[in-house]
Amino acid sequence: MLSNYIKIAWRNLVKNKTFSLINIIGLATGLACFILISLYVVDELSYDRYNVNADRIFRINSDLKFGSIESKYAVTSDPMGATLKKDYPQVEEFVRIYSSGGGKLVKKGNEYLKEERIAHVDSTLFSVFTLPVIEGDPQQALTEPNSVVITASTAIKYFGTTNALGKVIEANKTPFKVTAVIKDIPHNSHFNFDFFFPMQNLDYGFGTFLSHNFHTYVLLKEGTDHKAFEKNFAQVIQKYIFPQAKQIMQINSMDDFYKAGNKIDYSLMPLTDIHLRSDRVAEIAPNSNIQYIYIFSAVALFILLLACINFMNLSTARSSRRAKEVGIRKVLGTERKGLIGQFLTESILTVIISTSIAIVIAWLVLPYFNDVAAKTLSIKDLLNTRILVWLVMLPIIVGVISGSYPAFFLSGFQPVVVLKGKLSGGMKSSSLRSGLVVFQFVTSIVLIIGTIIVYCQLNYIQTKKLGFDKEQVLIVDGAGSLQKNIDVFKNDVSNMPGVVSATVSGFLPVSSSWRNERTISTETVMSVQNSFSTQTWGVEHDYFKTLGIQLKEGRNFSKEFGTDSNAVIINETAAKILGYKNPIGQKIYTLKDLQSGVMISYTIIGVVKNFHYQSLRQNIGPLCLFLAKTDGYAAFKVKTSSVKSLIAQVETKWKALAPGMPFSYRFLDGAFDEMYRSEQHIGKIAIIFALLAIVIACLGLFGLVAYSAEQRTKEIGIRKVLGASAANIIAMLSKDFLKLVLIASLIAFPIAWYAMNKWLQDFVYRIEIGWWVFVLAGLTALVIALVTLSFQSVKAALANPVKSLRTE
Amino acid sequence: MIKISNLEKIYRTEDVETVALNKVSFDVKEGEFVAIMGPSGCGKSTLLNILGLLDDPDGGSFVFAGQEVAHYNERKRAGLRKQHIGFVFQSFNLIDELTVYENVELPLLYLKVGADERKKRVEEVLEKMQIMHRKNHFPQQLSGGQQQRVAVARAVVNRPRLILADEPTGNLDSINGNEVMQMLTELNDAGTTVIMVTHSEHDARYSHRIVRMLDGQVVLENVMI
Repeated sequence: MLSNYIKIAWRNLVKNKTFSLINIIGLATGLACFILISLYVVDELSYDRYNVNADRIFRINSDLKFGSIESKYAVTSDPMGATLKKDYPQVEEFVRIYSSGGGKLVKKGNEYLKEERIAHVDSTLFSVFTLPVIEGDPQQALTEPNSVVITASTAIKYFGTTNALGKVIEANKTPFKVTAVIKDIPHNSHFNFDFFFPMQNLDYGFGTFLSHNFHTYVLLKEGTDHKAFEKNFAQVIQKYIFPQAKQIMQINSMDDFYKAGNKIDYSLMPLTDIHLRSDRVAEIAPNSNIQYIYIFSAVALFILLLACINFMNLSTARSSRRAKEVGIRKVLGTERKGLIGQFLTESILTVIISTSIAIVIAWLVLPYFNDVAAKTLSIKDLLNTRILVWLVMLPIIVGVISGSYPAFFLSGFQPVVVLKGKLSGGMKSSSLRSGLVVFQFVTSIVLIIGTIIVYCQLNYIQTKKLGFDKEQVLIVDGAGSLQKNIDVFKNDVSNMPGVVSATVSGFLPVSSSWRNERTISTETVMSVQNSFSTQTWGVEHDYFKTLGIQLKEGRNFSKEFGTDSNAVIINETAAKILGYKNPIGQKIYTLKDLQSGVMISYTIIGVVKNFHYQSLRQNIGPLCLFLAKTDGYAAFKVKTSSVKSLIAQVETKWKALAPGMPFSYRFLDGAFDEMYRSEQHIGKIAIIFALLAIVIACLGLFGLVAYSAEQRTKEIGIRKVLGASAANIIAMLSKDFLKLVLIASLIAFPIAWYAMNKWLQDFVYRIEIGWWVFVLAGLTALVIALVTLSFQSVKAALANPVKSLRTE
Repeated sequence: MIKISNLEKIYRTEDVETVALNKVSFDVKEGEFVAIMGPSGCGKSTLLNILGLLDDPDGGSFVFAGQEVAHYNERKRAGLRKQHIGFVFQSFNLIDELTVYENVELPLLYLKVGADERKKRVEEVLEKMQIMHRKNHFPQQLSGGQQQRVAVARAVVNRPRLILADEPTGNLDSINGNEVMQMLTELNDAGTTVIMVTHSEHDARYSHRIVRMLDGQVVLENVMI
């Protein structure tokens, strides 16, 4: 019986080539999307699970509020890990990772390479994380100072072999002995370092609980409830943090601290949550967002659903053609059950063919998808058992979903009626079919609106007045490598034609540069009432000029004032928090360092207009600028049409002044765009999916109109004989479908508005959704539908009426 | 074998009520060959559909092989149909996507007959209908006469007790028509009950008895000699 079903199914597919193609292409496209997104989602969900103890590893997060701003950090203080291990038996092991010290210059032959993926770690690294060692003893590898653990590819890069045990690597002019070579860290890890240096080699004022700079992970013993464990942090705060805080602030108890509106709170984040659910200050690398996983999964399902709907619509529309067969089968005694089985077999067969094509499409498209999604997925990932199960189940599930309605609909025919040819065509179920078409267009229009809004927001961010001028600012990285030549370099480059001004600083208004947060007080003795935390940046005299930052009142740093080393320029937010009517001339105080408790004073000499130094997702926080040399970057405002030759000159100068040091540059606007890379990926992916959804919806429309024209061949013939023009016929055939698109628009608008409004809430600075977006999206859908319809309706309208009458 | 009494069938639309069968009663004995005649719209096809368990009556009784079947549900009717009844239509009603062989095989598939037995019986009946040489062709590749022979082959392959023929020669020329009538007669001679709806007095003469209908009622039954 099954072979009979398959035989009929196959012959039907071959016989109705157009419909079969529409079905198969639509389904294959939908399934290909589904496969790609599954690969993406499975990869995203797999982060950090390569660790054998993944379910027992937790990162200590810190939530701190001091003064005005509350910050959520991915880091904690340096003694925290050891303290927990010492005081609580539930903690089996801990490890700290310090990665915020910037890159190191590593010597290779006669040149220096800037290595960014470096970390200082505790020797317990291998007891917590699963990092397979190729050579060396993991337990001993990081116990001695001046040792280093490198990955296999790093070993090959520097020594041409993974056989690098005992060899020496020179980093920042210090020799380190390779004590272990580990396998490359899997790409699906929330950290990805090439070099692990021991903690002993880190130059850091260890011992304070008040400074948060270490990513700290604890391995809890089996069966420990991490939520319950978090309650112990209250004790830790009381026992260790309070005594240190008391020294520098006037507080008698932690309650004083909390009462003033401050907060200090620690929590444990499961390792496997970090990649998708952590968006904190000082992440090792930007993480992904679980929201996008939800959105993509939903979009994939919707696209698949659109393709299924095509299948249902076309199958039921064509029902009159199958009616006779159903009638005969019923007369011959088959039961409804058998017919349902037959039609389901047909749809499953179609889906199996489509799935095979979809796999090929996915394989072909994967490189482009990787490009857009910034992934390194491989089609081999399909062999993952979880996906394989899906790939086998998918045709069956999709086949049943898309085939069930036609199956029940067709098998319900009365044999007497259909054999007499009384069936009034497939239009009986036209209201349901119309509903499904509306659904398809609702989905498409929502996606179109979403795409337009994502693009408008990105455009808004990129062109928004930021309070500084990001255009034509050349940034040279690693200016510290110039050492004493740094001023020579700066001066020589500023004298080049086309260079307007220059400045050297580690702090730039893009998130990839340095940040430094400190606590500022308005009085000499710091208390919770008179202090707040703020960004504190060291800049030069020419900083504002080079970056186009405007002074609101007061003056800039000037070489004419010898006292400017004790001067500070604040931004408008800081001025507002301080609350002075006239802030110029007022003094602020800050700790020289956490250990000594000595306070230094600064005089406010100027206020700059607020500029966006963080992503537009955040409000502009307080900022204090001091006159200080911070040699992270050299920035040049340029005004030239031949940027290329200028860069070449700068590079020549660099090579002369910093021989052997790597030259790398970028432009401020490029660095700025980096901050919105994830939105840009989302934007691109949204466009692709919106297009696919529309293509699939239009394929379905195309099929339905073709069917409708075929059904009405006789009617069209009669109308033409009676004098209808081609235009009349086209209008007649298109009208009904266009009505559906209009209805779909009306339904889609509020849905899209709601969803996109929610997305925009993520941005502090965002666009208003204009009415034109909806009009544009509606018109786009309408025009595309009209074009699709015209293919078939024109053909039908131009057909010879005599011929069309004869076919009946 | 068949006993119907006071059978009624009424078609209703919003404001028109059409009585298709108005208290029809008659019997058909096992092995009989009955022709039903009458002008268009007299209810003969409705009657045949009810006899073939394709449609259910609105009133009256229908006893088929000793069972009252008038109110059987679709599943039960399908069961009886595939076991006991063969159909021959004016328009052949072969499935276009299946070959001659597969069309004839279909009823046996629904009866879940084993593969070997199926092959034997299909070939036997194709041989008998002299279309064995066409077994791998599709219906559109055959002449009308050949198609009807395939339809007859399909109707008899499950060895039904009753064959219902709805104007079996209506779409055929006289030579092919006579051939089909000959086949039905042979089947009847072999013991199968045949009920045939026809417009043709010539075809009706092959039967043992003619039931004449008018406006949903049996008006005359004459026995052929």
